[in-house]
Amino acid sequence: MRELLILAAIGVGTYAMRAVFLVRASTDPPARLARLLPHVGPAVLAAITLPALLAPHGEMSWAGTVPSVLAALAAWALWRRTAKLPIALFGGLGVWWVGTWVTTML
Amino acid sequence: MSTAERTQAVVAPVVRHGCRDAAAVVLAYVPFGVTLGATLARTGVNPLTAWASSPLMFGGAAQLLSVQLLDAGANAIVVILGALVVNARMLLYSASLAPHAGDWPARWRWAGAYLLADPVYAVAVARFSRPDRGGDGRVRLTYYLAVGLTFWVGWMGLTGAGALLAGVLPASLSLELAAPLTFLLLLLPMLADRAAYAAAAVGGGVAVLASGLPLGLGLLLGAAAGVTAGGLIGARHA
Repeated sequence: MRELLILAAIGVGTYAMRAVFLVRASTDPPARLARLLPHVGPAVLAAITLPALLAPHGEMSWAGTVPSVLAALAAWALWRRTAKLPIALFGGLGVWWVGTWVTTML
Repeated sequence: MSTAERTQAVVAPVVRHGCRDAAAVVLAYVPFGVTLGATLARTGVNPLTAWASSPLMFGGAAQLLSVQLLDAGANAIVVILGALVVNARMLLYSASLAPHAGDWPARWRWAGAYLLADPVYAVAVARFSRPDRGGDGRVRLTYYLAVGLTFWVGWMGLTGAGALLAGVLPASLSLELAAPLTFLLLLLPMLADRAAYAAAAVGGGVAVLASGLPLGLGLLLGAAAGVTAGGLIGARHA
């Protein structure tokens, strides 16, 4: 019960953060701020992705970094070619598995 | 044609579009969602309680952090603050979606906020950033709800399946790459212009340099730097 209450508290806090600007959407933000808002998506997603790709085990290493960077490049190439997210993801994972296997063999 | 039929004719294709776009994302989330569900279920936390984090938080990173901290016996305040810092990016999503939601009825903005997870934000804003703004207010709201609800059902199902299969799935199926690859694929469609590339390059670069900071603060620092860089480049090329 204690654990569920803690998770619920996080849920309430998360909802509040998701709602705070959205529910006041009818008032336009100041122009300086409005110019920054379109860049939130690429900035946040890259800030999540890049550290995790370069250091998949928490630190950079030959056996960890090389397969994951190759997998990311493969996913990027597949997405550009097909514009299909599932193909890009599973292709990238495939490259990662092969790359991990090869680096552990070396 | 009656008004109801006209509404139907406009809305139905938008719903189909939203469901289809979100279904592709759900499919790409299969490895991440299932391994996350299994990882949560393998902790010492009651599996049903752990899965309840899916409807409560609707966001994998905070679910993983909070359940793992509970499993490690961390203090309640530490768990709550840690997860809220991880989710602080939702403030940015909320502000960034708001200009596209100004003409939605208030009750739908309150309801839609619950659905504002990373992929829902990414897919919806990609459409709303088109030159036609993704249609009028009602079309945009319909698309947002179709994407959000489809992904919600998918996320509940994927994490639930992971929890049920936790005993069967090999523990070596790790989250390490499924999660960042999935987020990379949310990022790629957003790289539409020079400003977006600048925001991503600076945001990612600063986050790497700051990745030693505690509590995932590197993410927030990277996000702030990236947004600023995007604004500077965007202003120069506007």
